[in-house]
Amino acid sequence: MSTATNTAAAEHGHSKFLQHHFREMSQQFEAAKIGMWLFLVTEVLLFGGLFVGYGIMHAKHPEAFMAAHHHLDKVMGALNTIVLLFSSFTMVMAVWASQTNRRKLTILFLVITLLCACTFMVVKYFEYSHKFHDGLLPGKYYTHKGDTVPGQFMFFSFYFMMTGLHGIHVLLGMMAIIWILFRTIRGDFSSDYYAPVDITGLYWHLVDLIWIYLFPLMYLIS
Amino acid sequence: MSHTGEHAIHVTGPKTYAAVLGALLALTVITVAASYVDFGAFNTVVALIIASIKGSLVALFFMHLRHDKFNAVIFVGGLLFLAVFLIWTMFDIGTRTTVLPSNLKTPVEAFPGAPLNKPVRPATGQPVGTPAP
Repeated sequence: MSTATNTAAAEHGHSKFLQHHFREMSQQFEAAKIGMWLFLVTEVLLFGGLFVGYGIMHAKHPEAFMAAHHHLDKVMGALNTIVLLFSSFTMVMAVWASQTNRRKLTILFLVITLLCACTFMVVKYFEYSHKFHDGLLPGKYYTHKGDTVPGQFMFFSFYFMMTGLHGIHVLLGMMAIIWILFRTIRGDFSSDYYAPVDITGLYWHLVDLIWIYLFPLMYLIS
Repeated sequence: MSHTGEHAIHVTGPKTYAAVLGALLALTVITVAASYVDFGAFNTVVALIIASIKGSLVALFFMHLRHDKFNAVIFVGGLLFLAVFLIWTMFDIGTRTTVLPSNLKTPVEAFPGAPLNKPVRPATGQPVGTPAP
């Protein structure tokens, strides 16, 4: 098996990845997971602030938001939703493959996840460049002509802030996946030690989770 | 140390994950379809309920919260604080009445219902010529 070195080390009492301040691998894994979940909660609250701001402005100026969202392409949004959901699936499959000592499958699933993330960013690029071209920009940079409903710049302030911050998270997630991919190829992970794969997975699923809420709120207002 | 270990780490199989993916994609189709149906004041509520079902599936299955009660408490605790933040703010917005200064009889309606025959400053929505706030 490809992970012979790790399992051999585990049989001698401890893995080479066990840090000295932990008693055993499972304790180290649980501690790392709690840390990640606490971080994910801060992420939820970070985006939560933006969602509350969006809620206030949507409630106060519904007709401006209604008119502005027609500039978004539902098909592009739905495509990105499907791509991100599928990447979440491949990510969890990578965690499963890592958990069950399937190194090659782990690599395959991580690469598919990365490709999905790239697809997401490319679609996002086309959406953004279309909006830049039409002057659909936040605040004072809004230069779109021919509006019948005033105040649409506000929707685009939220649109760019929220999808932009989400896009940054996708990029950071891609970096984490590349790191995990590198370590998988090196043969670090086995059923005894796959915490980094699991934790990167948690982060990636949170990015997906946030998009699940962004998609209907941005693209599907009715 | 055996592969399963005495700590009983739950290994969910690919079949379950594929089923969850199928459910998520189906719910995506439903949420797009629902956006063409008019539920009146409940449009956003319906969209958020479907999103929450999808989010729960991701959290329970993909993020393994089904077998991870401790971290589920942490996560749901965070969501409760978000709910307080969101719901109380919306109560405030929904129940506020316009308080006018004593020298004004009616609220200033320049924004968002600004007269469309006058040029509107894009950054503020106020008619051109009004002093910046």
